[in-house]
Amino acid sequence: MRAHSSALTKGFTLAAGLTLVLAACSSSGGGSGTHKSSSAGLSSCGTQGKANTCNSAATKSGGTFTYTLEKNIQQWNVQDTNGNTFENGEALGVVLPQVFVPQPDFSIALNTDLVTSATQTSTGPQTLVYKINPKASWNDGTAITADDFIYYWRTNNGKDCPPPPASDSTQTKGCLPQSTAGYDRIKSVTGSDGGKTVTVVMAKPYSDWKQLFGAGYPLYPAHVAEQLSGAKAGDAAHMTGAQMTKGWQYFQKTPPSKYTTAGPYKMQDWTDNDHATFVPDPKWWGAHKPSLQRLIFKVITDATQEPIALRNNEVQGIYPQPEVDLVKQIKDIPNVTYTIGSGLNWEHFDLNLHNPVLGQYKALRQAMFTALSIKDIMAKTVGQFDSNVKQLGSHNYVPGQAGYQDLVASTGQGSGDLAKAKKYLTDAKFTGVGTSLKTPDGKAVGPFNCRYTTGNQIRQSECQILQSDLANLGIKITIKPIGAADLGTVLAGHQYDIIVFAWVASPFPSSNAQQNWVTGGGGNYGGYSNKKVDALVSQAVGETDAAKAATLLNQADSLMVQDAYVLPLYQKPTFLAVQTRFVNMRDNATNVGPPYNTAEWGLKK
Amino acid sequence: MLAYTVRRILVSIPVLIASTFIVFLVVVNSGDPVANFATSRQPAPSKAAVAAFARHIHADQPAVERYWNWITGVLHGDFGPSVQSNLDIGHDLFTRFRVTVTLVAAAMLIALVLAVIFGVFSAIRQYSAADYSITFVGFLFLAMPVFWFAVLLKQAGIWLNEQTGSTFLGTIGEKSPYLEVDTWWNEFTDHMGHLILPTITLALVSFASWTRYTRAAMLEVLGSDYVRLARAKGIRRGRVMTRHALRTALIPLTTVTALDIASILGGAVVTETIFQWHGMGEMLVTAATTIDVYRLMAWLLLSAVVVIAFNLIADLLYAVLDPRIRYD
Repeated sequence: MRAHSSALTKGFTLAAGLTLVLAACSSSGGGSGTHKSSSAGLSSCGTQGKANTCNSAATKSGGTFTYTLEKNIQQWNVQDTNGNTFENGEALGVVLPQVFVPQPDFSIALNTDLVTSATQTSTGPQTLVYKINPKASWNDGTAITADDFIYYWRTNNGKDCPPPPASDSTQTKGCLPQSTAGYDRIKSVTGSDGGKTVTVVMAKPYSDWKQLFGAGYPLYPAHVAEQLSGAKAGDAAHMTGAQMTKGWQYFQKTPPSKYTTAGPYKMQDWTDNDHATFVPDPKWWGAHKPSLQRLIFKVITDATQEPIALRNNEVQGIYPQPEVDLVKQIKDIPNVTYTIGSGLNWEHFDLNLHNPVLGQYKALRQAMFTALSIKDIMAKTVGQFDSNVKQLGSHNYVPGQAGYQDLVASTGQGSGDLAKAKKYLTDAKFTGVGTSLKTPDGKAVGPFNCRYTTGNQIRQSECQILQSDLANLGIKITIKPIGAADLGTVLAGHQYDIIVFAWVASPFPSSNAQQNWVTGGGGNYGGYSNKKVDALVSQAVGETDAAKAATLLNQADSLMVQDAYVLPLYQKPTFLAVQTRFVNMRDNATNVGPPYNTAEWGLKK
Repeated sequence: MLAYTVRRILVSIPVLIASTFIVFLVVVNSGDPVANFATSRQPAPSKAAVAAFARHIHADQPAVERYWNWITGVLHGDFGPSVQSNLDIGHDLFTRFRVTVTLVAAAMLIALVLAVIFGVFSAIRQYSAADYSITFVGFLFLAMPVFWFAVLLKQAGIWLNEQTGSTFLGTIGEKSPYLEVDTWWNEFTDHMGHLILPTITLALVSFASWTRYTRAAMLEVLGSDYVRLARAKGIRRGRVMTRHALRTALIPLTTVTALDIASILGGAVVTETIFQWHGMGEMLVTAATTIDVYRLMAWLLLSAVVVIAFNLIADLLYAVLDPRIRYD
């Protein structure tokens, strides 16, 4: 969420748009004008199979690249529930190592700079073996060893460093990991070969094991935590909860410019709420040596100002949420290449099953979803600047991920098929179909409210289209915006009948599914409950074969689609724009963001 | 005057307490930051994390108790916990106040000087071409939305940079993240380059309204008996204008500028947002949108103190400007 009011945003956008018109008029009138760049560098990123290699070129040394962060980083422990922000993940990924790194095509790549191999050597019990790169070390000369993995596991498993007790209002007497998923299933983590081989034995199998020790949540130096907490060096296995808490707190409060790191760059300085400066780390042992002289992450909290800063060469790369005016502005900047991608964020309508009518009648929910035309929604919203946007057909995967199957289209949901929608209702003995809908026992259906975050024009339009489509069934919809700060209150308090917002899919969908679809899950705000879905998701989480886990998740998804609880609309577009003199930047819509490969960024040779 | 000043300061204490208490109750009941915390993260935080967060921001305490703890904490320099982990509200408040003062000070000074010059000139030359021109410009800037004007200025600045092949005029922040050659002169020019556009934005908007006040006040004074008497006695025009007319005409302007400056010090929200100066305005908006109770209260407290201080300054200036006023 951005820190300004919607009215301000709209005003700025309008002003920027109108100003561009004036600027365009003045340049053409002057005769010289500016020349729109071809968007050659990033334009191939949308081509099938090119996501991981587009905009590639050899680099020459030197240059400063300034990339934009859209929020300040207040808390530096990305493993902590309070520090788990996209911007933090982006910044820490530059300087801290992780085992697997999500790629632009949503696949997962082994970080061979950190580990030469990571394999599942047994399924009973599930055993994982990591071979740490012999050259891998922190930049103070301390080798990266099993001790760092043990420290990671013990601080994140929810047991060895438990949450702060109820008496601790300062949140300083315990660890609050953003998720214990996977770590709470580990039985042991042990080191061998002088600490360069790590063996993890699971107490319970875990399908998303590649998520462990990375995937946007890098390792912190255990020896720093040991030293400052008074623990024995290299003995994370025996650190007490209090000692681990000290380390946890230190990494929360301390930017990585103050402690030893292990990345292609080291953070030279951090100016709060303004920028981070990175310079190449001479101790970096990795395959790609950074060619940039300097890398800067600049905080710009208002996305509408990013194109102006890019045009003024104050930043050289931006990654804002695209809007029609913003994309138009970028197109008019010379020597800038851009790409509109499909992200992991997906827009959806949710029904609140705590509402007695919506909760009771599956046929009503199916009819509502079928009467809605997603094609119309896309045409009137994101389709205006992203011609490639398509209806999303899964609750767990997005196109491009191995497990993706379109399970929605065949049901007719989102098709706007009014006849089929009416048939659902008449078959279920509803009356007043198309005029004033009533349940089989004669109760009025609706009016229902459709809620969206105020100031979000796209979501307002989505509610308006829903209102129009459901009127054809005889259902009245009132549109009720949610205050900028009240989305959480509305979701947690079930203060909606229908709501439109976005989820973030994950390269590791099983854990996500457990959060959002299982009975009582933390993200299951609408009160959905299906025992078969619960069982299938639970099976998927514990399945060690990724293909089988995907099959189980898709089976669960088929049931969810039939239950018509959440209707996926489309993947939200992402937008990366960089100056053409720099290369190797790519849109990575996962939680690591475009900085997933900063070692490769540089001036075009 | 000292006794009057002390009396005014003492009277302002209950005003501060009453205003902060009322606002505290309103803010505490305006939303649920705990629900926001629980639903705005993916993966959703554990129940233990949500409970810890609620305790951390004192959401588990009654509102009156929270207020008491807050106000007594403030007396000891503790502004309470923020919903943003690790944020020291006191440090944040004063850092941002410094940023806003930096942004506002030059702009207000320029606006004030220009407003007095053009307002007086406009009044003296009433209904002349110059008066009409100044009036037109004044109304133009008054009618122009700040966000529109600021974006236009940014575009003009970029155009100028492109023409000169430099990046002297900055559009984002207080200064550049780095300088190729780090000397005090380069640092100074870099800072000036970032200050120019927002300063013009703020100055011209204030200038527009203050010019109108000055012109109106000056016209009223120029038509008064004592000014005509002074002229009839043969005192030179310049002396009448500066010693008699202007001094009186400045009294209403003093009130207006004192209140305006106080409110702008509370945050030039639009200008700060567009130019990405992380000052009081951004603090207010961020605290309001995240229901950050104690951060909002810190902002309110400082803003209220500034308003009270500037009102007091304005009252004291009356005595300087108008010999009939004595605070005994």
